[in-house]
Amino acid sequence: MGFLSLFLFMAKEKILTVPGRYDQIQVICQFVADGARQAGLADDDVFHVELCCDEATTNIIEHAYGKEDVGPIQVTYEISHDSFTVTLHDDGRPFVPDDVPEPQYTKIDFEDKGEALDDVLNSLQIGGLGIFFMRKLMDEVFYSFNGVQGNKLVLVKKLQPKE
Amino acid sequence: MTISCEKLAGDIWIISSSGRLDHSLNPQLEQSLNDLLNEKQNRLIVDLSHSNYINSGGLRCLVTAWRQAREQGGDLRICGLNNRMEEIFSLIGFDRVFSIHRTHEDARQAMVNESTI
Repeated sequence: MGFLSLFLFMAKEKILTVPGRYDQIQVICQFVADGARQAGLADDDVFHVELCCDEATTNIIEHAYGKEDVGPIQVTYEISHDSFTVTLHDDGRPFVPDDVPEPQYTKIDFEDKGEALDDVLNSLQIGGLGIFFMRKLMDEVFYSFNGVQGNKLVLVKKLQPKE
Repeated sequence: MTISCEKLAGDIWIISSSGRLDHSLNPQLEQSLNDLLNEKQNRLIVDLSHSNYINSGGLRCLVTAWRQAREQGGDLRICGLNNRMEEIFSLIGFDRVFSIHRTHEDARQAMVNESTI
């Protein structure tokens, strides 16, 4: 029983590995949303985590792998006393979020919507908007790449201190 | 999870989504909007009151259709955003791109008023 309790206490990290396909994005979203709720995040924060994982997974398929069914996506979530952390791994080409400029259209006066809209469409097409969401909606975002582990993206939501 | 289209008086169309606007539903939304625009039906209201999730693919569909509708001399208005969707639209500045209304009736009335000015 003591061992079981210890196991349950430690079972705060879960791993899901799925093929890199669009039809798996919903599976990933459900997986991280369940974890985020278990961590005690508010519904709006759960939505932020889901959306960012949706965008991150889309970028993996479209940019790191270049198409569907090229390689797996491993998703891990970890619940600590003060944070909920999602880590996404893939074996694709390096995709460096910092190389993607922040969409400029959020700073543009939309009185002249023509040019601004071109920026909008370009940002939406190169995955820039997904990264923008991650930067805005998550508390911390880390990225690394090496030849052994491939791309590793870490998304962190801080937990509100309990009263 | 569906996309439905309904024609109102004055050649105004309401396109209603039900379900998550993600990879499973966005292609249907894109197809429905393209079908209408290809028929030069360009007075469009997209009702999102039965959707509580949209990703960048869904936003891309909307802004692409908005631009095409405007190029044809029409318009695309949005209605029925819940708080979460409002947050996303506001975060990326789309609340300044689209005319956003509370209900599809508000959007329809605004579209009718605009065409009579």
